[in-house]
Amino acid sequence: MLKKCLPALSLLSLAGCLAAPLLHFLGKLGPDAYQMIFLAASVGWFAFATLWTRRK
Amino acid sequence: MTGWLASITSRMDGLYEYDREPVTPDRLQSGGKFAGLFAGEHVAATEFVIGAFFVLHGVRAKDLLVGLLAGNLLAVLSWTFICAPIAIRTRLTLYWYLRKIAGPGLTIVYNLANAVLYCILAGAMIAVSATAVGLAFRIKTPALDAIFPTSVGWVLLTLLIGALFTILAILGFEKLSRFAEVCSPWIFIVFIAGALAVLPRLGVRPDLGNFWEIASTKIWNGIPVAGQEKFGIWHIVFFAWFCNLAMHIGLSDMAIFRYAKKWTYGLYTAFGMYPGHMLAWICSGIMVAAVGREMNPGLMAFEALGLAGVAGLVLAGWTTANPTLYRAGLALQTITPNWPRWKVTLAAGAITTGLSCFPIFFVKLLDYVAIYGLVLMPIGAIVFAEHWIFPPLHIEQYSAEKRGWAFNWLAFGVWAGTLVVCSLMPIHLYFRWLPGTFIALFSYLFLSLGRKD
Repeated sequence: MLKKCLPALSLLSLAGCLAAPLLHFLGKLGPDAYQMIFLAASVGWFAFATLWTRRK
Repeated sequence: MTGWLASITSRMDGLYEYDREPVTPDRLQSGGKFAGLFAGEHVAATEFVIGAFFVLHGVRAKDLLVGLLAGNLLAVLSWTFICAPIAIRTRLTLYWYLRKIAGPGLTIVYNLANAVLYCILAGAMIAVSATAVGLAFRIKTPALDAIFPTSVGWVLLTLLIGALFTILAILGFEKLSRFAEVCSPWIFIVFIAGALAVLPRLGVRPDLGNFWEIASTKIWNGIPVAGQEKFGIWHIVFFAWFCNLAMHIGLSDMAIFRYAKKWTYGLYTAFGMYPGHMLAWICSGIMVAAVGREMNPGLMAFEALGLAGVAGLVLAGWTTANPTLYRAGLALQTITPNWPRWKVTLAAGAITTGLSCFPIFFVKLLDYVAIYGLVLMPIGAIVFAEHWIFPPLHIEQYSAEKRGWAFNWLAFGVWAGTLVVCSLMPIHLYFRWLPGTFIALFSYLFLSLGRKD
């Protein structure tokens, strides 16, 4: 189950990295908020993608 | 002397022994693998500096876009029509093919030149990472005209980061390579996200209606900063074209394309060029404009994405310095008798770290990239002449191998002579490699006419 979820979770994290500055550009998120979301999504990407590649 | 050369040659052959034989059909790779490989390889820490320098050199927005489109296309075509066809016909690395043409002695010289150039490149990556870490300690990034270290803090910082990168490379190059695969897509996102995040600061409206106006007046406005020469469209075309000169016209990517099923796989390099050498450069240009055109990659990344941006810059430097250190170590191993892998990596790391203290390699990165390609280009021209032009003219191929020469003095003379002529050319450094390629090719051809069958 986890094996199947890891690619999706990794890609979602990467999408989060892109969504945060995009929302800031569109005026929906303040500077602190987008930087925090970007950081959290980045941590998510490294955690899930590392597990994903290890299982591959 | 002969014994010394034989000893070095045998050690060097041992290092590259595993790829001595041409690649067999069962080991050929799919096009997707090539696309992935190139996409990951061309987004590095240096992209933060290159795109920003275009802004500092006063490039205009239209010149940048047209120049990057054209220059990257020429680079892709160089891989496709020059490098890939030779690679799939020989299925050999440049090392083994050059050995047949130039002899083991000249191949050693080529390897050592490569090692030194790799160390300088890795040193520049360390310096770029140092600008990010330096923010935390308020260490000033060297000025654009700096040649020698500007402060004790900068020296300590580069030494520390260089030592850390070296230790990590010694501890596990392969594990780091796998980690680099994870980093690569994220680092590309760092560029896009960073540029997006600073657009409001430059005054770009959310509907992008005034983007072109801002791009032409606040980012690539055609005005160079003090002390930087003005760049036009041809500088951009040529820079994008020669940025990987050693790999395409210099033929070192034969190592990759020998696994290609068809020569048309050269077109897959577009997956590296357009995201890495176009989009990432545009993004770093936007980021430098947002920090008041100050060449400080650390500040650019921090202002755009906070701590994650700083981490992105350090990781970009680390993951690209790591394979560069490995390659430099491999090349150095030829002159270090019986040294274990860790010792050679340590030596390469020590040289690299020492070089990284000198800001000239970082603040003059564009010129260094030009020189790097220029130095190795004549070898590619020599191999091209020998491979394609010698057979129809009935000139003997692979004389070094057939006659047992240790050193093809003619090839060495053409290499050195081309570099001397290039250094004397009264044109901009960026444009010298193109006439230089023809000089190397035709002079090697004419001087080899005596070997006609």
